Amino acid sequence: MLRILFACLALMCWCQTGLAQDLTVQEILQQNKKLVEKSSRKTIGPVIEEIAASNLSQAQIFLEAWSRKQVWQRRSDGLFFIGTEVAKRQYALSDPDSGDAIGEFTTKDLKQLKPNSGVRALIATALVQFQLTDPNPAKRAEALLAMERAPTGEHLAPLRSSINDEQDATLKARKSRLERLLTISFDPDPTARVAAIQSFEGDLGVDVRATLNPLVVKTLNVTAGDLPDDVNIAGVVKPGTDDLDRTQAYDLLVAGKLAPAPTTANDIRAALVDHIDGNHVAKVSVDQLSDPMIRRQAYDRLAEQSLVPAFIGDADITKTLHGYTFFQTYGETSAEVTAAAEQALIQIELKVGMNQAFDLGLDAISLASIYFLAAIGLAITFGVMGVINMAHGEFIMMGAYTGYVVQQVIPNHTVSILVALPLAFAVTFAAGVAMERLVIRYLYNRPLETLLATFGISIALQQLAKNIFGTQARPLTAPGWLDGAWVMNDVVSISYIRVAIFILALTFLGVFLFIMKRTRLGLETRTVTQNPRMAASMGINPERVNMLTFGLGSGIAGVAGVAIGLFAKVTSEMGNDYIVQSFMTVVVGGVGNIWGALAGATMIGFLQKGIEWGNPSNTLAAQTYMIIFIIIFIQFRPRGIIALKGRAAGD
Amino acid sequence: MTFLKKTAASVFALSAMSGAAFAADTIKVGVLHSLSGTMAISETTLKDTMLMLIDEQNAKGGLLGKQLEAVVVDPASDWPLFAEKARELISVHDVDVIFGNWTSVSRKSVLPVIEELNGLLFYPVQYEGEESSKNVFYTGAAPNQQAIPATDYFLEELGVEKFALLGTDYVYPRTTNNILEAYLQGKGVADSDIFVNYTPFGHSDWSKIVADVVALGADGKKVGVISTINGDANIGFYKELAAAGISADDIPVIAFSVGEEELSGLDTSNLVGHLAAWNYFQSADTEVNEAFVAKWKATMGEERVTNDPMEAHYIGFNMWVNAATAADTTDVDAVRTAMYGQEFGNLTGGTAVMLPNHHLAKPVLIGEIQDDGQFDIISQTDEVAGDAWTDFLPESAVLKSDWKDLGCGMYNMNTETCVQTLSNY
Repeated sequence: MLRILFACLALMCWCQTGLAQDLTVQEILQQNKKLVEKSSRKTIGPVIEEIAASNLSQAQIFLEAWSRKQVWQRRSDGLFFIGTEVAKRQYALSDPDSGDAIGEFTTKDLKQLKPNSGVRALIATALVQFQLTDPNPAKRAEALLAMERAPTGEHLAPLRSSINDEQDATLKARKSRLERLLTISFDPDPTARVAAIQSFEGDLGVDVRATLNPLVVKTLNVTAGDLPDDVNIAGVVKPGTDDLDRTQAYDLLVAGKLAPAPTTANDIRAALVDHIDGNHVAKVSVDQLSDPMIRRQAYDRLAEQSLVPAFIGDADITKTLHGYTFFQTYGETSAEVTAAAEQALIQIELKVGMNQAFDLGLDAISLASIYFLAAIGLAITFGVMGVINMAHGEFIMMGAYTGYVVQQVIPNHTVSILVALPLAFAVTFAAGVAMERLVIRYLYNRPLETLLATFGISIALQQLAKNIFGTQARPLTAPGWLDGAWVMNDVVSISYIRVAIFILALTFLGVFLFIMKRTRLGLETRTVTQNPRMAASMGINPERVNMLTFGLGSGIAGVAGVAIGLFAKVTSEMGNDYIVQSFMTVVVGGVGNIWGALAGATMIGFLQKGIEWGNPSNTLAAQTYMIIFIIIFIQFRPRGIIALKGRAAGD
Repeated sequence: MTFLKKTAASVFALSAMSGAAFAADTIKVGVLHSLSGTMAISETTLKDTMLMLIDEQNAKGGLLGKQLEAVVVDPASDWPLFAEKARELISVHDVDVIFGNWTSVSRKSVLPVIEELNGLLFYPVQYEGEESSKNVFYTGAAPNQQAIPATDYFLEELGVEKFALLGTDYVYPRTTNNILEAYLQGKGVADSDIFVNYTPFGHSDWSKIVADVVALGADGKKVGVISTINGDANIGFYKELAAAGISADDIPVIAFSVGEEELSGLDTSNLVGHLAAWNYFQSADTEVNEAFVAKWKATMGEERVTNDPMEAHYIGFNMWVNAATAADTTDVDAVRTAMYGQEFGNLTGGTAVMLPNHHLAKPVLIGEIQDDGQFDIISQTDEVAGDAWTDFLPESAVLKSDWKDLGCGMYNMNTETCVQTLSNY
């Protein structure tokens, strides 16, 4: 008898598996044709699961092809195939089940399935069971990524069993970290969860906070009697304190139909209007009703006659609130887990706060180095020589366009940047010398005319750039090794390109100091700026020195242009964005001193980031506040942070 | 000196004469797009599009037996200058229609002029709505044709629970974000799950804002960015996004002002999968689009791309030509009457219809950025009727625009009165 029963059971099992095996991928797809054609995250789930659970060896290949948008539908019969491009608009199709080649078709006969990011995430989750133990490490990494993005309890067991066999050290570390995260969310055993939470003490990862925060989400509850003992209570809150507003608390009672709604002035008005009788309401003359006290009395009289609900005022609310206990509960039922999570989060938040401050500091340093780099050329031409060069921004632009042109000629990004830096210097040096020879030397000691002339030149240069390069922004692509960011942890990171700009700024500070303090040109420049006539009588040619100094300042602006173009944009107007900041940097820091420019850039960079931190929703306002601050600052220190003293200060 | 003056005078007289002689047998079409300044990156292309469309029409025999003549002016991304240039186009150059503007602030500056002089403006860019002028046809998308469907896509298809609304600080992003905030609150998204930030035009220092967005994910909710960043500030934003290694699968970014043109200045290999919502993408697979793209590339060069506002001008210009043909005149009032109900084929397939509220019915497309700088269209709706007044702000929900039967762009449906006919709000 038993044997027959077993046989029957076995037969049934066989039938079921047999039934499931009967369906090929194509058949599953055809059964759910409508869902597949218009795939949406909300409806496609069962189809993907059915394919994944089908035990078909081709399921993995098909799902991978689907998420890579390689599945095509033939318009003539609605069948689905995996397609690979053989020529433009020409695809070779293969059967999703057998893998047999079907032939080549043009896109006219085909329709591509385009799973969106939501559907691709579902497919990736379904693929985890195949990819987690795949011999290819890249596939295993994909599986981990899918689990990190959409953690579910089902993955916990297979993930645990796969950790020990993992050969790749990086993947093993990722797996064990993910296993602990999944344990926190999905393990049934509270001790294991608490242990996992404690293992993340002080961890800065966004994923840890994303796992812990949902555990400690609180909801407000109210009870008339004792606190219930079947829920995980976070604490009792008193109405009227910072934790709980009185109105909020009372609204909860009203919403739970535990108390009547408070009577508002509008309610009184509506009630009185309803019960108006000739010229009187509840024996009060209507013309007296402009006084709220009398209105109240009239209302109370109506309430005595039970015509309207009794007045609920502040005193009644206080009285009602006293009769109830308000408390917060966790969604999570285990008290040990929530306590551990709260504990861990406090430590993490503290550490995150410190790291955010550090990150903000890095951002500020980076911004300061960009401003410094943009201003260092101006520190020479304006700071040392006293020439107000409004075309300084256009030298930056010329440098950036030089970089762009070099990239058109030399495709290798590393080499092209290495070539572009000296070439940009050469081009803008030449442009600076030309400008000095043709315009500025006639205008020394006439600052207003210099300002107007160089402003005109700046507009002309912008228009010239537009005529040559067009108005579209041009790409200046950083070499591959400058892509990405230096990630110290999930909070602190800075893009490599900004690090490179920082190093470049430091280098230029060094170059500037070297030229000014250690070379003959620097000596001559300092002499000429202090007293051109005496310098001339000592055998120095002031004209030549002025020309070279101006060329040097312009050349440095050109190199800065390449760096700025790498992290921002190359357009004919990019100079405009930096000219104001550059002058601000030089003036705030102190004219005529490189350390002043450095101090000015640092101050402006930190100030800007500080204001942005205080006002995260409006960056434009932050810049406005900063300019107001600088105007006030200049009132009190007109010569900037580092003011030259004695005869060097000139006038 | 007198000689100089005389020559100048005669040259001026000559040019004025030739101008007058020319005007007699041509129909003038004003093109009001910035060719310099921060918006030139987007607007120059539209000027080229108009010149191409006008050439094409002239090759077909012009309009009403006359040749079309383009009058191009450069308002230089300077908003007050737009008003000056619009006045110049209508009163000095005597144009019959103007195609122009990109930013809403420039359109707002042109409105009083165009209403005072009874001109006709075709505005080709997606905008914030909350406006309906008798003298403007809005061929771009209203919020319900771009922002709302895109937000729905975030909510429904990607499961986004926390929203970062990043925008450039001017009227379009601010109004759009107000509408979106109201819409999201209506969908049950808490205030604390909506992060808003505004940046200046041409902003380039994005590191802190990108870090702020990443930090939003700390409470375990899926974060999505809705970007109304305009102009060349997008380049810095996307570069920083790529440098931070933010995958579109973790934090998707959907942009309303970034099209093929803006991406051409960028290396898109790190941006694959981020989104944009428009009524048109160059990759639309139709024959009419293929011909349009081929014509554009033949005129402007192989590396040039087409985008949504170009399609808007394409539809707007052809509708205007058809309306003028139907009315047998280019008189503004006659053309406007003939415009209602005009139909013209979209480049994406289907037909655009001009509604009495001066908006078009067009399909909404959502595309993912690919590594070649093109968009892969992953979602396309049926035609959606453009709505001048949004249904999601209580004060606008009661308003309606109908210039055909009600003769009013701001009609209060509760009180059944016309609030005002001028759009000086």
